[in-house]
Amino acid sequence: MAKSLTQEFVKGLWDEVPPFRLVLGLCPTLAVTKAVENGIGMGVATTFVLVFSNILISSMRNVIPSKVRIASFIVIIATFVTIAELLMQAYTYPLFKKLGIFIPLIVVNCIILGRAEAFASKRGVFRSFLDGLGIGIGFTLSLVALAAVRELLGTGSLTFWVKPIQILGPSFKPFSFMVEAPGAFVALGLMLCIMNLAGRK
Amino acid sequence: MREMIKMVVVLTVLCLFSGGLLAAIKNKTKERIKLQLLEYVKGPAVRTIFEGASNDPIADRFDLKEGDIVRNFFVGVFEGKPRALAIETFGKGGYGGDVGLMVGIDTKEDKLIGVGVTTHSETPGMGARAETDPSFVTQFKNLSLKEPFKVTQDGGSINALSGATLTSRAVCAAATDASKIYQQLKPQLIEKLKEFEK
Amino acid sequence: MGDYFVLAISSIFINNILLAQYLGNCPFLGTSKKMETAVGMGMAVIFVLVMAGIITWITNTFFLVKFDLEYLRTVVFILVIASLVQFVEMFLKKSIPALYAGLGIFLPLITTNCAVMGVCLILVNEEYNFMQALVASFCYAVGFALALILFAGVRERILLARVPTPLQDTSIALVTAGILSLTFFAFKGMV
Repeated sequence: MAKSLTQEFVKGLWDEVPPFRLVLGLCPTLAVTKAVENGIGMGVATTFVLVFSNILISSMRNVIPSKVRIASFIVIIATFVTIAELLMQAYTYPLFKKLGIFIPLIVVNCIILGRAEAFASKRGVFRSFLDGLGIGIGFTLSLVALAAVRELLGTGSLTFWVKPIQILGPSFKPFSFMVEAPGAFVALGLMLCIMNLAGRK
Repeated sequence: MREMIKMVVVLTVLCLFSGGLLAAIKNKTKERIKLQLLEYVKGPAVRTIFEGASNDPIADRFDLKEGDIVRNFFVGVFEGKPRALAIETFGKGGYGGDVGLMVGIDTKEDKLIGVGVTTHSETPGMGARAETDPSFVTQFKNLSLKEPFKVTQDGGSINALSGATLTSRAVCAAATDASKIYQQLKPQLIEKLKEFEK
Repeated sequence: MGDYFVLAISSIFINNILLAQYLGNCPFLGTSKKMETAVGMGMAVIFVLVMAGIITWITNTFFLVKFDLEYLRTVVFILVIASLVQFVEMFLKKSIPALYAGLGIFLPLITTNCAVMGVCLILVNEEYNFMQALVASFCYAVGFALALILFAGVRERILLARVPTPLQDTSIALVTAGILSLTFFAFKGMV
């Protein structure tokens, strides 16, 4: 059963990568992937919260009575979300504006509460740290991949940081369906299908 | 019973810890957040109004009390002299609420340098054109502060945005308000401006 | 009155919480496999969301704004919602067992339903007054239930269709949701 430390980290990148394998945290996935930049911002913010809440929860796992454990997890997670919110407001204001209510909503991202409940409340601090980091990076990569597909097809350019970079030539007609809500669902559905195909071998 | 006490203690400690940590971080980041708000919400309007200024109008700013209200002024340096001021006012009665307006004033000649809409909740494509359509706000350029600003329907000189008279009125009201504040505080403002001379 | 009508229409259809605002997608996919569960979840959300909307609105206006504690909003809101859900669950269990039997299992899921938290934040961000907050939270919840129930109807049919293996389950559900979202997209520009 016991996995090696590397495995704890690596599993978040493919075997249990959210939101594809663990179908959790769909709202931010769909909402912020209009541009790669937003995907990176959301991914980093979520990873930050995930890593720190995992560390704190696992180090307090013997102190927290099991009856109030969910309430305690929520307080801890909400605290780190607010820290992320304040820091983003202070240092990356345009991104903070673009992500809008989805930053406070990290608090109800089921990935984080799910990891706290299923992993960090039962394992050691270092393992929980690796787990949080792995899942967080996996989540970020998924967001970036989905955002890249949507933005490229929807606008013909990619925005890694602040300025969009034109990728497809001027003859490309932007398929603006992709950057709107319906495109988000369809793109995620098809990417999930590709993941399933790739995972079958 | 012991379990109950433990539960309450753990939750209280957690909440206190959380509150304390957040308050500390809030205090640390307060100044920066204020700066960022100025830079990104008011900054674009101020910079457009003070185009060609040789200083950074966001960095060069001061507060002045008018009665109980603290007003924020931005300073523009032109031809080596700090001669322009920008102030934000809010015009009541827009279609979707108050319209925030940044008003630039030339203190040497007592005229408007320009205005720019900062915050509004007007209808896109209608009242929101006050922010996006430059031909509307450029009408305010170089107008004298002697008379209140009015749209043509009210006997003034500003052509209202078609279909958005309410918004246009709110913008005029905000500009008039700014001009009043400036004229009231002029002596103190001129004093303050001298501090920015280099 | 007209303003409230516009607010209601835009909250139910144009800014539909699931299909246009992307909030509450986990229960949207999780509880839409069967019509029965979809109806249960929809009703539970209407029930909790209206209460949560009002209570967080009051907390924000009379407590957070007053004492300049707006930076604690996220923490306070989630705690208010979590305890509200807990309280509703206990209350229903004791007083209205029939209703509890129907909604009970959905209640714990609602704490982490971002639709609830999301609407509470939207109400505050849009600076609605009390009546507007009440109407908007009810209509957002109705929009949620409407989309969820429609979607469950479609998904029950999908079970009968032959879907290629890699597309099965969540994947085809997402593509279907996209098409449903496209129909709601047509409401844009109505107001």
